[in-house]
Amino acid sequence: MIRQDLQGTHILLTGVTGFLGKVFAILLLQEVPDIRLTLVVRPRRRTQTALQRFEHIADTSPALRPLRERYGADLGRFLGERVQVVSGDIEKPRFGLDRPALDALRGQVDMVVHCAGLTDFQPDPARALAVNVAGAKHAADLAGYWKTPLIHVSTAYVAGNVSGDIAEALRPGVGPSGERFDVAGEIRALQEACRTPSKQTRIDRGQERALALGWPNIYCYTKGLAEHLLAQRTDIGLTIVRPAIVECARTLPFRGWNEGLNTAGPLAWLISTAFRRLPTQGEHPFDIVPVDDVARGLALTVAAVRRGEQPGVVHLASSDANPFTFERAVELTGLGFRRWTRKGGGTSADRWMRWLDPVPVAEDAPGPFAVPRLKRWARSLRKATARFEPAEHLPTVIADVFGDTVREQLDSLTEQLDEANTHLVRIEKMLELYRPFIHDNRYVFATDKVRAWSDALGDDEAAFRWAVPELCWREYWVDVEYPGLSTWCMPVLRGEEVPSDPPSTPPLRLEQPSTTLHELAGK
Amino acid sequence: MPELHPAAFFRVEGTLLRRPTALAAAWLATNSQRLASRLTRLGSVALGAPLAWSGADPTTAARVTWMGLRGMSEDRLVILGEEYWATWLDDDVRPVGEDLVRQARRDGRRIVLVSDNLDVVMQPLVERLGADLLVANRMELRGGRATGRLAEPVVARFGGQRLKDFAADQGLDLSRSTAYGAAEADSALLAAAGLPCAVHPDRGLRRMARDLDWPILEHDR
Repeated sequence: MIRQDLQGTHILLTGVTGFLGKVFAILLLQEVPDIRLTLVVRPRRRTQTALQRFEHIADTSPALRPLRERYGADLGRFLGERVQVVSGDIEKPRFGLDRPALDALRGQVDMVVHCAGLTDFQPDPARALAVNVAGAKHAADLAGYWKTPLIHVSTAYVAGNVSGDIAEALRPGVGPSGERFDVAGEIRALQEACRTPSKQTRIDRGQERALALGWPNIYCYTKGLAEHLLAQRTDIGLTIVRPAIVECARTLPFRGWNEGLNTAGPLAWLISTAFRRLPTQGEHPFDIVPVDDVARGLALTVAAVRRGEQPGVVHLASSDANPFTFERAVELTGLGFRRWTRKGGGTSADRWMRWLDPVPVAEDAPGPFAVPRLKRWARSLRKATARFEPAEHLPTVIADVFGDTVREQLDSLTEQLDEANTHLVRIEKMLELYRPFIHDNRYVFATDKVRAWSDALGDDEAAFRWAVPELCWREYWVDVEYPGLSTWCMPVLRGEEVPSDPPSTPPLRLEQPSTTLHELAGK
Repeated sequence: MPELHPAAFFRVEGTLLRRPTALAAAWLATNSQRLASRLTRLGSVALGAPLAWSGADPTTAARVTWMGLRGMSEDRLVILGEEYWATWLDDDVRPVGEDLVRQARRDGRRIVLVSDNLDVVMQPLVERLGADLLVANRMELRGGRATGRLAEPVVARFGGQRLKDFAADQGLDLSRSTAYGAAEADSALLAAAGLPCAVHPDRGLRRMARDLDWPILEHDR
């Protein structure tokens, strides 16, 4: 039934260069006959057009492996038939498309799916406003112009600083704190706050405004503002899809695939280092969803909208039907690390570290290795080493013979302590950013809609099944997530290259593509 | 009446593997999540050793040995069970034991592995040998954590009425079945089978095998 609902649908999709957008596009291209995708891609450089950028991604991104394997040398023709790349920028009104281009797509596009977004927890609010708020408004403007439904991908964490069961609903103009606010006024105020040239001041002001309305960070705040802004629109059929924490793929494009820095990556990295005590509430759910399951949930939502349903808000989360607690996540991360190093991963130091398991700790009982205490120790030791003068503090005979060596060693130790202190400050900041999600708030997101749609699928539609309620967290976390993070995310954290596939020879070209909407309009 | 199948019962410890079960319990205990638990659990596991060596009731010894894992999560038991197998047992399988399993399979027998180790440790052996059934101990779990008790019935000695009930449930013909054991504690299993065989037996089982004319098979060393 879902294939029938989606067959021949023409979707204008943003965010295809991102993590979720890629998997969603691949799912549709693999599973839906005659699907048509118009992909909004921003040219990266003056030398790389939107089409070239997409072709490069299709040619070298590991995410496209299933399509490359299926179509081989024919991939260019296949993509050329199904995909149309348009040069656009979500930060510009109507994505920067002029009227002829807009008119050329009118009547073709059945739906706008807006996946693009800035997912850093603490971005420059000016950027977050441009991408997360203005981008969503521009997507709504396009949907309004074409009179098509809009599916806006948000985040479950727009719920803000609250604890408990979170319904699939939105109260327009009411922040998570329960306080009423004027969305347009709030956006104006944030724009005003962003006028300062200092980025840190912008971040501080943005964070202040976020907290005042009950959002834990600028990411959730701007995503929340976008939802409230879109909810005011009466000219579009709006559906908001709210995934929780999007993580490594279970099966599509292949087991373990991930891209960029996601929420769990830094945490898994942190507790795989010498830092082994994560301040968290062990019994709180860690709401993880594999990226391919999010793509499936999104496809189920698109199908429902195509059938004429008006789902409103849809959660794609795991905490209500199959909760995975932080306590388990911390332990399984240690066990995953252990298995990964046993199978040859990591350095020799990592292989020693595997014997020390990470543990969740309550914030009021942080133990002897709490970050503030370690920082104090590092600072005190640094002061002591800096003050120590061999000529002054050692007997003359020893100072004469070993003074220079001792000084060199102390200087080296001072450098190491400085590095350790920098590292600890980074950890402290990171824990502060994560604190609302891993410690303060207990979220249980209702997922009734996606489960009902999935239950209604036929036996031959398993490719779209929402399998999160049956997911075995042990197998997923140890055999999929941890190896996936190790391969695709941790190199990013270490400043190393992430593996990509070699380009084909000759490089992939979409056959008969419509390169830009301007050309399309001219035809 | 359903057809009954001949089986080959293998007492894993001694017949297929050299390492005693208590080492698995000790290793799991020393790999607890928290450092303090490693010591306390190891101490608790160690209490079972004198019981086992003093010839006390093997069921009690097994209960005491595994009691030390109380509070360990199911995730840890399963993952470390696999790791223990891969690290310590996979290269420890006795070639003669594997030959006997292959022969039994060629003879059309159902392969039944009997072990007082945990099922999570033995599962890879089941897969390696392609065994049909596993009789092993299971930790009782509550809320995803071990209670420290073994689920009933505890596997220590395996024989008598319990073996008969098991055979009846699984459609096995004990009178046409072979049984392989290595220790005196396995005598009840061997005595119940039509074709018992002592494999590199300890002193007690060797004496019994001689008295009862059971064949004795020595391992390659």
